[in-house]
Amino acid sequence: MAADPTRRTVLAATAALPLLAAGCKGVGALAAPPQPAPDVALLRDVIAAEELMIARYQAAIRLAPGTGASTGSAGAAAGAGTGLAVVLRSLLSQHQAHLARLSARLIVPAGSRYPPALSNRRTPAPRLPSVPHQLAAHLAAAERAASGRLARQLLAAPPSLAQLLASISASEATHVPVLRTAGRIG
Amino acid sequence: MSGSAAVSGTASDAVSALQLALTAEQAAAYGYGVIGAHLSGAQQAAATADWIAHQVSRDELEKLLSARGAVPAAAAVAYRLPVSVQTAAQARSLAVLLEDRVTAAYLGLVALSDRALRKLGAEQIRKSALRAASWRDATVAFPGLTASAK
Repeated sequence: MAADPTRRTVLAATAALPLLAAGCKGVGALAAPPQPAPDVALLRDVIAAEELMIARYQAAIRLAPGTGASTGSAGAAAGAGTGLAVVLRSLLSQHQAHLARLSARLIVPAGSRYPPALSNRRTPAPRLPSVPHQLAAHLAAAERAASGRLARQLLAAPPSLAQLLASISASEATHVPVLRTAGRIG
Repeated sequence: MSGSAAVSGTASDAVSALQLALTAEQAAAYGYGVIGAHLSGAQQAAATADWIAHQVSRDELEKLLSARGAVPAAAAVAYRLPVSVQTAAQARSLAVLLEDRVTAAYLGLVALSDRALRKLGAEQIRKSALRAASWRDATVAFPGLTASAK
């Protein structure tokens, strides 16, 4: 359902239009350069938010107790004796999966007039509370806000992107209770 | 530019998506009756709460279909459960499976151009993903979507 090469092709084609227009002679009929597709802007916005979330987790893992312990299994919820860092790494891996899938939809030809890849713009390390339960609560609030934002953004997205955003929004909503539990355990 | 991107907007698309969601809710409502019988204590209470949630959602979908002049798909008297349920662990696995199917079914509503239905679909996806995560005791990156597709 999410595999949608047609959509990607369309995005790439739309992004390429200004180049084509600039490269051709006598395109008076196409005088007004096409605007970037609205969903490219939306996708960039969603990707930036996901990158910020990843930066938060990376900073949080450096602060969390249990850092240095062996890597937890993907998706494991907090259990007895589980360090907060293990839980955070597991949730981080899901955010990295979100980012990968979102980025795969954004195909911008080299030399286009879009801004450079977002990863070139280093997100400054977010300031986070260092007390474990406050750290977990901070991340839970960020997840909740991100989930709600996606739920609003998907209303204006084309159908298949809307489905991906709904799924990611739901995934981020499920991180909230995991963080609350992990914060209590420390 | 508002809503300009939506393309799959016919009334019959909405009815088809609502019927698919209804079918998944009916199966879940049936399945939770079986699930609850194999659980006890707090887990049984959770199963009962989830059972009620699916009944409420099922009724809501029926109303939405009727309001569109469609006849809601009839529930089966009994469903062949996708897994055999003899133990509490199997009951929890069935709950996960039913929630995943409900989540996937509501993705159909999210693809519609009707904003209200799209919003409903997204809310239900969030709720079923939360229930699934609770039964699974783990979260997943893409509730309702296949993990491999990019």
